[in-house]
Amino acid sequence: MTDSHFSRRSLLRYGAYGAGAAALAGTAASWDRLTGADIPGRDDGSLVVATLGPAYGPAAIRTLTEGFKKVHPDIKLRINAVQATDWSDFFAKILTQIAAGTAPDLVYVATEGVQLFAQRLGVALDKWVKRDADELREYFADVHPSLVESMMYEGSLYQLPVEFNAADIYLNHQVLKRAGASFPAADWTRDDFTTLLRDMKKSSGSQFTPYFWTNRLWGGVVPWLFANGTNLLSESKAPGGSWLWDSFYPAADRQGRGGGYRWTTPQATHERVEEAYDYLASLIQEDLCTRPEGGNGQNLIGVFSTGRVGVTPAGGFWAGGLNLAGMKNGSFDVQYFPRWRTQRMQFGAAGYALLRTSKLQDEAWEFIKFASRRDTLMRLFETNQTTPARRSMLTADRYREMGPSHWQVFYDTLDKFPDTGPIPAPPQVAEVEQVLLKHTGTALASRRSVAPALRRMQSDLEKAMERDV
Amino acid sequence: MTNTQIPAVRPQQQVPEAAPATRPSARERGTRLLAALFLAPTIVGIVIFTVVPIVGSVVLSLFHWNVIDSPTFAGAANYREMVNDSTVLVSFRNTLVFMVLAVALQLLIALTLALAVNGRMPVWLRSVFRSAFFFPLILSAASISVVMKYLFNQDFGVVNWGLGLLGIAPVPWLTSENSAMAAVILVYVWQQFGFSFLLFVGGLNNIPKEIHEAASLDGATGLRKHLSVTLPLLSPTLLVASVVGIINALQVFEQPYVLTNGGPGDSTRTVVMVIYETAFEQLRFGEASAVGVLLFVLVMAVTALQFRLSRRFVHYQ
Repeated sequence: MTDSHFSRRSLLRYGAYGAGAAALAGTAASWDRLTGADIPGRDDGSLVVATLGPAYGPAAIRTLTEGFKKVHPDIKLRINAVQATDWSDFFAKILTQIAAGTAPDLVYVATEGVQLFAQRLGVALDKWVKRDADELREYFADVHPSLVESMMYEGSLYQLPVEFNAADIYLNHQVLKRAGASFPAADWTRDDFTTLLRDMKKSSGSQFTPYFWTNRLWGGVVPWLFANGTNLLSESKAPGGSWLWDSFYPAADRQGRGGGYRWTTPQATHERVEEAYDYLASLIQEDLCTRPEGGNGQNLIGVFSTGRVGVTPAGGFWAGGLNLAGMKNGSFDVQYFPRWRTQRMQFGAAGYALLRTSKLQDEAWEFIKFASRRDTLMRLFETNQTTPARRSMLTADRYREMGPSHWQVFYDTLDKFPDTGPIPAPPQVAEVEQVLLKHTGTALASRRSVAPALRRMQSDLEKAMERDV
Repeated sequence: MTNTQIPAVRPQQQVPEAAPATRPSARERGTRLLAALFLAPTIVGIVIFTVVPIVGSVVLSLFHWNVIDSPTFAGAANYREMVNDSTVLVSFRNTLVFMVLAVALQLLIALTLALAVNGRMPVWLRSVFRSAFFFPLILSAASISVVMKYLFNQDFGVVNWGLGLLGIAPVPWLTSENSAMAAVILVYVWQQFGFSFLLFVGGLNNIPKEIHEAASLDGATGLRKHLSVTLPLLSPTLLVASVVGIINALQVFEQPYVLTNGGPGDSTRTVVMVIYETAFEQLRFGEASAVGVLLFVLVMAVTALQFRLSRRFVHYQ
């Protein structure tokens, strides 16, 4: 302060200003003001449902809220569409809400988070399913048991699947034609696949990539591991679940079912895993596919629809996506993932998980049932942005406009290949996925990098699986 | 001045008489009170938004906490785990490498361009350059990184397409351990150098013309003039630019997260990325806080070292 001679008059004047300001602040503080409690639905007894924002636009939210209000006018509902880039980002935001004491009652959870939520946060739906068995019979008759089993954990059911996506192979007809190749048969093999990629490469320019894939848990390396009869983590079934299978599924569908999947011991150094990586490394070496870091879903639709990519793994969600990108029915099609040692395929499913912290558990169950109704899903999935979990919804009418021609592949992936299963997603899924992504990048630098990278992956996976979430 | 006029005791050795210990006057108390009142909002803000989170992080680093369950005391276990975690150690190494290269490049480019723009140039053109160089800084780092990811894409990127026209083979910008860090640094520097550039332009404008004229009269030409006159007089600005640059670089997150997600392998994984992944993806908030505390100590140490070294090379007019 430069002026050390502060007059009494000045002090009085500034004091008066200060007092005035304090009086104003006091007045303002005494007024009603906006707080977190003023957010519509906050603390007003509403049933709060958290969904993945990008997948749930305003129309979807309206469908759910208005539809539910008609059925249950007595239950207030608030849909909280959480914006997130992917499932792990979405779960992180939900967990942050829980930590802040503003947990939703229901969370839309995909396979990536089923076991994490079931183990730490979720409520088993068994008692309600048993109670409303008659009402649910129609639902289970319409939904493949593999999808239901993927939502079970240690013998209990935690979610009713409403959608799923299996990693099938999409092909660009323009590129097939250019390569002089025909559409592959349903039982095509890994060698047929490689030959097709080579034909595509030969007939296209340097700015063309025959096979585009994304490095992630769903649709990355995992489909090749499944096709080669192996997995990242050893897979088994938990005991139990007969209360559900015996009640809702015929004997043929019950065979081999259990109480949900268990993914335990890492097996990244298994020879079949190494084979799968070695195969992908050879494709990269031949310039037949993208390097793992080069692939991401954001620009995939653009490059596929413009004929710069020949084939890519994707689920039913792509039918709608390609249509939005301007691809007409007939310009693309879909086929099963190629056979290697097996033709077992992978999928991810999603449904609503009920949180333990919810004080509206009965109301939440009513919403779960409403959200799995056929009429609700018909309104929700009009644009083919996913594959409905209900078999009856996959009809020629649904795909007549948009395509693909072989739309039956979506559900037949489950029906014709009963061993098709969920991506490996134990409660430690976040770290498992991170380890997978990281070491896949290093493993595929060259064919010589595969074995050392898989050894490091194995070590990191072991550490990850030892940790309690 | 003659010898007889030299005081017996040199001024700095004169010991002033101790002032009698008296209570401050009412005026002084009023002044202090007023100063405190003016400072209060800032101090309260710093305490709430800086001190409390820092203390909170230090406390949290001594616990295991996964958000879902209650925290359990872990003592130094999180720190032990941190120093045994190769990913954490690699991320610190990456961050330091990134800091050195990115800040050096950023300052070099900014200074070169500031000198160029500060030279003989029409005023309107100078304004155009200033705006153009500053523009990337006001954009979202995440948005820029998304666009750059497309540009640098090995298979479909515009950069490799351009190289292809020149007959150069595609470069795996973001997919090779040899080039990914370079690509991340390029994107970061492209966005950040505008800040240092503006600081240097301001600093150059503050150098009196007379000093340059005097140097010219002494026969100094372009480079000699810059080395002997411009740089020493610009050293306070250089200090500020390097301190801010280093603090920002040590906390880099968006560019490597969006461009490479830390890959290939761990080659572009930074400390802040590890903190984010450990806390929000793996739900290990205690371990993440321990890494955060170490980063805080590192930033403080590097900044303190800079100020210490600045005594040697910073010249104030």
